[in-house]
Amino acid sequence: MASMWTFALARLAGILIAGLVVGLLFGPIWAWLLAAACLYLGWQLLNLHRLDRWLRLRSQIDPPNLGGIWGDIIGQVVRLHRRKQFHKQRLVQLYRELRRSTAALPDGVIILSSQNEIVWFNRQAARLLGLKRPVDVGLRVDNLIRSPEFVRYLHADDFSIPVVIRPPVHADLYLALQLVPYGAGQFLLLVRDVTRQMRLEATRKDFVANASHELRTPLTVISGYLDTLADDPSIDETWAGPIKDMRAQAQRMNTIISDLLELSRLESTDGEAPREPIDVPALLERLHRDALARPNRPRQVSLDLESEDGLYGSPQEIESAFTNVLVNGLKYTMSDGMVRMRWWTDVEGAYFSVIDSGIGIPAEHIPRLTERFYRVDAGRSRDRGGSGLGLAIVKHALQRHGGWLDVQSTEGKGSTFTCHFPPQRVWQAGLRAVASA
Amino acid sequence: MSHAAQWTAFGAPAPLVRVLLAAKVIIMETADLTHHISRRFNEDLEKVRNQVLQMGGFVEQQLQKAITALVEGDSQLGESVATDDYKVNGMEVSIDEECSRILALRAPAAGDLRVIVAIIKTITDLERIGDEGEKIGYIASQLATMERPADKYREVKHLGRQVAHMVHDALDAFARMDSQAAVRTAQEDRMVDEEYESIHRQCITFMMEDPRTIRRALEIMWIVRALERIGDHAKNICEYVIYMVHGKDIRHTSLEDVAKQIDAAHALARRG
Repeated sequence: MASMWTFALARLAGILIAGLVVGLLFGPIWAWLLAAACLYLGWQLLNLHRLDRWLRLRSQIDPPNLGGIWGDIIGQVVRLHRRKQFHKQRLVQLYRELRRSTAALPDGVIILSSQNEIVWFNRQAARLLGLKRPVDVGLRVDNLIRSPEFVRYLHADDFSIPVVIRPPVHADLYLALQLVPYGAGQFLLLVRDVTRQMRLEATRKDFVANASHELRTPLTVISGYLDTLADDPSIDETWAGPIKDMRAQAQRMNTIISDLLELSRLESTDGEAPREPIDVPALLERLHRDALARPNRPRQVSLDLESEDGLYGSPQEIESAFTNVLVNGLKYTMSDGMVRMRWWTDVEGAYFSVIDSGIGIPAEHIPRLTERFYRVDAGRSRDRGGSGLGLAIVKHALQRHGGWLDVQSTEGKGSTFTCHFPPQRVWQAGLRAVASA
Repeated sequence: MSHAAQWTAFGAPAPLVRVLLAAKVIIMETADLTHHISRRFNEDLEKVRNQVLQMGGFVEQQLQKAITALVEGDSQLGESVATDDYKVNGMEVSIDEECSRILALRAPAAGDLRVIVAIIKTITDLERIGDEGEKIGYIASQLATMERPADKYREVKHLGRQVAHMVHDALDAFARMDSQAAVRTAQEDRMVDEEYESIHRQCITFMMEDPRTIRRALEIMWIVRALERIGDHAKNICEYVIYMVHGKDIRHTSLEDVAKQIDAAHALARRG
């Protein structure tokens, strides 16, 4: 490095000294010195020109063969260029890989800008939603996916639950669309074909509803005959036990079927429950009286009405939910235990609790309690005559009212089931007084 | 003031520099303002275009629901279509007001003016499509109580799909400003007309064969008539798209000529 520069300096000095010597010998020194300097400058300019030409036409001609500093500079440029080329190729390769893998995804992917404009989409998204490349890039996504449900979802704040739409291009498909925010206000729109799931779900609902309905008629006939047989004096005494069992089981089957029908009715009615006013204190007093009239009930069944407020909702669904929560508490409490009902309201809504001193539920089972036919342990609810659907009905009924069920339990000590209702469902006592006046 | 300092360093008199700088500030501000206005205007236009497409999306859904109500004999769905039509009317009124506001405030010219004019016309047709959808929904809820024919309205369903597709493609062409797609969609209207003819004839045959079907066949004729009208409205929307893009009024001219002209224009644009 240093030697190159000393050599270049030495060359300049040599030329100048040569000019000086010739000037001393043949004439005016300044003219010869100037001529030597010009010569040197000209040579450097020529090199500069060749370097420039090569940089311009780099792809077509080989680098000029210049020695000294010029050669070194050219070498450095070549190295820089090679390194850049290498990185570029790696990036391009990476980019292609990414593009290829997203294109091969079975789900549709659309990248949206913060203005909801389409930035990029993969092949599957184009196929499912009928998008076209390249005209659709830069268009607002809600100009092309115009389904009102999707537009509502796009302008909402909560993207956690995907919206299911039926695309007009393929009218027999169901598509689930979900927005995933990322980066600076950008969104990933995932499109998934959920036709199969939706069909299965529909078939399941239909099957449950139809099967329970069809089972009801034969069961009525069987219970009818069993009732007659039980009262028939001509039947041998030894049959009394079996007939009693058969009647109890028929009764149980009847409960299961009505619960199934109730559940499938709740599932098939979409959207929010109606807003009929319900006098909850009166309803609870009635439930309390019914509970006291049960033959083998816990010793103590009490009711604490801490609020005069009622609810806006569907009277049958609320009654069915409250009954199921209460019956659940009564069933799992020994005859020397206690069950307490509580109704109160605050700014965050209304609450109905059933507190029992029963056998309690192990913590790992609590999240799954509201699944249909879920049993904490095999013999537990069957010998108490449950259908296994009670809490599922409660969950669905509450959901339709914007509410939810909260379960607290200590094994061996007892459980607390609380139904929460949002404030907009509360029918305030003041308004009730006006309504009844 | 660093500019001024530099200028005075080169010997220009300070007052002159100050005047020049002030002028520059004014010019820059006005340039900024016009830019600002045009951006706001673009936003307004884009917003109203988006509203039209939202209205279109709702109308599309109404149409689809009405056809489903008929085919599946769902009287509740049919009734909900009929009662929801007021929403379409509301959208038309609000878009109309927005367009008048833009016309009054911004006085758009050339392409922008064409967009506004096309929007005003498009929403009228969309509102009519909504009305026809309401009619179909209402009749479907009536027909749901009657016995359904063995073929479960297969032809009507087919025609309904075709028409729904046309509406969808017309709105897509509107969103993409795609005149070629608009011409293609407008040409589909002929197929819809043929289908309408054939169902019409079929209904007459049914009525002659068995007078008990007359009531149902008459209701079906109302429905296919409504579908055929929707096809016409979709075609109108396509024509507005062409007007919006090329500034050419192609109503009452042969579609083949228009298709040729537009393809030529596109080829020219691609070469240029």
